[in-house]
Amino acid sequence: MNAKRHSACFVRFDEELCTGCASCLRVCPTKAIRIKKKKSIRIVNRCIGCGECIRTCPAGAVRAATSDLEVLEKDHVAVALVSPVLYAQFPGVMPKDILHGLRQMDFQHTIDMSYFLEMFQFATEEFIKRNRETRSAPWPLISPVCPVVVRLIAFQFPSLMPHVLPVLRPVALMAREVKRRIIPFYMETAEVVALYYINPCPTKMDLTCLEPEKQTTIPEIALGINDIYPELAGHVRRTRESDAIPFYQTRFEYETCATGNASMWAMSGGEIADMDIDKSLAVSGLEETIAYLQKIEMGLFQDIEYIEFRTCREGCLGGVLNVVDKYLAKSAIQKMIKMFGLGRRLPREKILRLYEKGDFQTEKRPSRLLNLFGEQKEGLSIESMQKIEKILDVVEGRDCAACGAPDCRTFAEDVVRGSASMKDCLWVRAQGKKKSKAPSAG
Amino acid sequence: MSGLKKSFYIKARDFNRAGEASISVQNFLKSMNFDPGLIRRIAICGYEGEMNAVMHGGDGALSIEIDSDKLVLEISDDGYGIEDIELAMQAGFSTANDEHREMGFGAGMGLPNMKKNSDQIMVASEKGQGTQVQMIFFLNQGGQID
Repeated sequence: MNAKRHSACFVRFDEELCTGCASCLRVCPTKAIRIKKKKSIRIVNRCIGCGECIRTCPAGAVRAATSDLEVLEKDHVAVALVSPVLYAQFPGVMPKDILHGLRQMDFQHTIDMSYFLEMFQFATEEFIKRNRETRSAPWPLISPVCPVVVRLIAFQFPSLMPHVLPVLRPVALMAREVKRRIIPFYMETAEVVALYYINPCPTKMDLTCLEPEKQTTIPEIALGINDIYPELAGHVRRTRESDAIPFYQTRFEYETCATGNASMWAMSGGEIADMDIDKSLAVSGLEETIAYLQKIEMGLFQDIEYIEFRTCREGCLGGVLNVVDKYLAKSAIQKMIKMFGLGRRLPREKILRLYEKGDFQTEKRPSRLLNLFGEQKEGLSIESMQKIEKILDVVEGRDCAACGAPDCRTFAEDVVRGSASMKDCLWVRAQGKKKSKAPSAG
Repeated sequence: MSGLKKSFYIKARDFNRAGEASISVQNFLKSMNFDPGLIRRIAICGYEGEMNAVMHGGDGALSIEIDSDKLVLEISDDGYGIEDIELAMQAGFSTANDEHREMGFGAGMGLPNMKKNSDQIMVASEKGQGTQVQMIFFLNQGGQID
């Protein structure tokens, strides 16, 4: 039902709704969008899934390429993978009621992320502790948690690839655990298990796409929080209104275990707040992320050990598929942290034993990601660059975007690469008309 | 084949925009798909040079010249120049003032870093006569990242 998608395809444009206004052109960090015939088109293999085009589109014509709720097929054992960001969408509601609501929606299992976030933290601390001695990776290490950041690095800052922490992301640990423990549980009855990741942003549609875990045939589906919200909100309301205490037998320890520590992860800074690292930074927002990556590339911040990047402002609760305003969500999360208190629950020794066995490390991520973009990016020759400079002299360089490219330099590149023509430029056309008028007037 | 040259203006004492010229050079080189390691080295050299010009220079320029066999990065400024170039090339030697240090600069690693990350470096300066730093990066050498 859900064929393997192109791993770099994260949004879709609705041609009917698109007015060709060029808003999305300007915000795209990888310049992946062009407007042709007054409609937006996207260069698929440049999309990193940041969702800025969804955020900015005034016509609502851009949507995440997440699946529709209809994919929840009855013959599957549906497992929902839940991040703390979902809880932030229900201010004042206890996570257990939200998880109960999900079960009402025919998810047989709800996996809370807390457990895996703690695992990731232990593994990260251990890696950094050892790296102080071995220096096997350069400082500052960059958090691999936000997949947009990792793709941005692969696309625009490939020299920083060695800085990306080679530890499996929490979502990958979570998916792996399901494969290791829940799926074997259903083997006997030969039921098909499907993983549903409930997403705050358009990027995590393919759980394996960032990790070199071997491909499996288990359906992995991404749902946007906004896709399931209306139905879920109804179930949550009914759960809270009913006098009966919802009873649910959990089979696995991580099915209901929201913690204060994990709640922090929804916010910018939540990843590093509780980590035992001497010098760390948390940066959020796409522009700031790019600016900091540029600085790291220029050799700055070598005295910092770890940097948490989130391309959404305020962190994952600023994700474009969320329903509740990010500041309301943040306040909800802060209350939840107060209620649950801080502290970890997993035993450090157990995690360290797994770390010793290499359970958390990933080494193939860089080569895999660089290939994702490397194949498609063709370098421009010196002659091409000279042509581009000449074109830039002619087109005035005001970045009006009327040609359908985000700025004049990109337009010039398109012309040299043969995908645009000089007469797409308004300025060039106007100059041409003037010239042709002049002789007839004189 | 004739080379391709691109220059970027550096404004003295404009710490808010410091680094912009090097970033422009990086983006320029990235669109030509140079080796990421080489771009990183040029980024580090460009930034160090640009900061020197911003801190000690008058206004200046950062330029990149691309040939089929090498890249030449040049930073020139109209500042007060370097009195003793040999001394300035030593790690830790710095003439930065308190203002620079407050901003986290002035560790005396600028020129040494540029030397470490480039294949060839030439510094020309005289007191009161400005400074020109020229760095050469040879292509097809399998650049190392530092």
